[in-house]
Amino acid sequence: MEQLKARKYNRREAIAGYLFISPWILGFLIFTLGTMIYSLAISFSHFNLATNKMRPGGLDNYRALLEDPRVAGSLKNTLFFAVLAVPLEVVFALFLALLLNRVRWGAGFFRTVYYLPKMTPAVATASIFLLLLNGNTGAINTALRAVGLEGPQWLVDPSWVRPSIVLMALWGVSGTMVIFLAALKNVPRDLYEVASLDGASPVRQFFTITLPMISGAVFFNVIILTIAAFQVFDQAYLLFWRDQTNVAPEASLFYAVYLFQQAFRQFNFGFAAAMAWLLFVILLILTTIQVKIGNRYVYYEGDR
Amino acid sequence: MEKRRTAVMAAWVAIALGLVTATAGCESGGADEGGGGDSVAFDSNVSGALSAWAFDNADDVGQARIDYAAKQLSGVSIKMDQTGFDAQKFTTRLASGDVPDIVQMDREYVPTYAAQGLILPLEKCFSANNVDPEQRWYPNVVGDVTYKGQVWAVPQFYQPPAILLNTTVMDAAGVKPEDIDTSQPDVLLGAVQKMYKANGGVPTVLGFNPSATGQTYLWFISQGGKLVGDNGAPTLDDPSNVYPLETLKKIVDAQGGFAKYKSFTDSFDTFGDNNQFVKNQVGAEVDAQWYPNVLSPYKDKIKLGAVPFKGKDGQPVTVAYGGSFVIPAKAKNPSAACKWALALTEDGSWDAAATARAATIEKDKAINTGLFTGSPGPDKAIRDKYVKPSGNAGFDQVISTYYDVVATGKSAGASPAGQQLKQELTNAITSALLGQKTPQKALEDAQTATMSAYRSIAGS
Repeated sequence: MEQLKARKYNRREAIAGYLFISPWILGFLIFTLGTMIYSLAISFSHFNLATNKMRPGGLDNYRALLEDPRVAGSLKNTLFFAVLAVPLEVVFALFLALLLNRVRWGAGFFRTVYYLPKMTPAVATASIFLLLLNGNTGAINTALRAVGLEGPQWLVDPSWVRPSIVLMALWGVSGTMVIFLAALKNVPRDLYEVASLDGASPVRQFFTITLPMISGAVFFNVIILTIAAFQVFDQAYLLFWRDQTNVAPEASLFYAVYLFQQAFRQFNFGFAAAMAWLLFVILLILTTIQVKIGNRYVYYEGDR
Repeated sequence: MEKRRTAVMAAWVAIALGLVTATAGCESGGADEGGGGDSVAFDSNVSGALSAWAFDNADDVGQARIDYAAKQLSGVSIKMDQTGFDAQKFTTRLASGDVPDIVQMDREYVPTYAAQGLILPLEKCFSANNVDPEQRWYPNVVGDVTYKGQVWAVPQFYQPPAILLNTTVMDAAGVKPEDIDTSQPDVLLGAVQKMYKANGGVPTVLGFNPSATGQTYLWFISQGGKLVGDNGAPTLDDPSNVYPLETLKKIVDAQGGFAKYKSFTDSFDTFGDNNQFVKNQVGAEVDAQWYPNVLSPYKDKIKLGAVPFKGKDGQPVTVAYGGSFVIPAKAKNPSAACKWALALTEDGSWDAAATARAATIEKDKAINTGLFTGSPGPDKAIRDKYVKPSGNAGFDQVISTYYDVVATGKSAGASPAGQQLKQELTNAITSALLGQKTPQKALEDAQTATMSAYRSIAGS
């Protein structure tokens, strides 16, 4: 009898729990899973926007991906960006977090100031960077000139287009920085005290205590930043592709930009959906590799 | 436990795949043709509701026209979405079937939607309202929205480009207006060299700003190029397009090369108090007709003149697109949409607009540079009625030049791959001017990319 009562209570509790999270479940089913399945369907079809009808297309769109040199070109640009941006973003965000972690006076003020870029709309950031990165009169090249260096034509020279977008991405690392800051706050103080007593230098303490203790946060940020880097769109679009009169070198054609063009300028929805699924598979493979490698080096407190 | 979890996952995958197959299969065999717009009937007697997506941030001219058109459609309730055209938003609305009755968009975009059957051809709209497009608008303006022999939009505005002269810079260098002649590149280059100044290799004064990427169509069409062929197919690799690109390269190379030229022009305070004419950063510049309006508040600080842009044959020529109104194939009230667009572009509407503009100019004590409506009748009427000597001879000569060239307009053509064509042509210009590719190779590559877009949009 008691057992039956307990079971009934548990079921009621479970139902209540599911009801509480049902808005999220519904949102996920309709706006995430539903649209994913629909896009998968579109990727295997020829979709006509005028009639809103799909014709089965088999693997046509996936075959077209292989035949279109711009798919490979845009993927190469995106990979280049990811390889350059992710390590720099991690290092820069960690550097800022370490600085903020040491601040004793006005810590809240500085945290707010450093987080502000995250709150700035991408369009406003892009407008500022168009001025900062101007090859002749921009602040970055003016500063370089002051120390005797001739800066590149960031927004025009194809070799410097991708680094210029990396610079813009670095501006927005404050989200990553906050995660690092939280992780740093969780590192037990006594570990540093013991290390100091043993005569360990700050650099040694960083590599033997800080880094291992925040390895979980590093791992998380690397995965999130890698996924974001492969989906880079707004920075490239706002700097180079916002209208047809912009100088948009091929070096700035990122995968997501090309996907957008295929879907909304050329109405190749099947092709664009296939591109999205190819990106999904690439990210799945990359994340799996990162998890496999990460598990060897990441320290999980209380787990092992 | 593990086996059970695997089985549950397998079941989910099966359900997902089943859904995919079912969805992909559904409606299979559906025709791939367009929306069948030819069967839509237009009537000049209109009623009901009209949903319009147009007039983003309407100014005095726009508001006067909206008010005028509303009076002409007194039995219709008009609801407006006054945001700018956005291709992604439009596509999403088309996909959902929730479309406005009329949409304002650039003329360059029109053939793209026409080729997909997403908008209606307007022959029946014009005939129901006794409008002859060839009479109402300049031929080149109608040409911009004519695809496969049919007119797909109600066009508005034609603001031709010409060359603005900064007399201060030109006089100091001993350059005469007749030296700024785009039909004689050698003469032009001589003038450029006299006016061009640089500091440490960085330009400080451009002799001539050709607006290389902003006036793309003008450069190619005026210099004998051909961008669009039969059925709107791109022809970027046509041998006639090499000369305009080579000419542009010579002009830009004489002024520090493309990278420095572009960065310099990007730093102009084009709409501000320190614009390139006030700061004497250009000797001459290709500008559309609206730019003298921007400069008019600075009339006492600058000495301005203008000459027509000349084609390879030595004759004045202009090429530019403008705005238009299109009716989506799934519009619920196409007759009202048609009548509204035509009301907005008829003589009375432009007269109301010109009256409103004259009042604004009177209040701001600015110069009336006229309105360039896309229609020859209203253009002449507005010039005769409102454009009077301003007391500034330079500005008056500028205004007169733009009015003189408006009838020399040529259409760059209407291509379903118009957006991609513009982008690829800009890419070709960039790579050729940067010296990464020869003009010929740059144009060939641009043609390949545009042709791919053309095939996917036009389905040929």
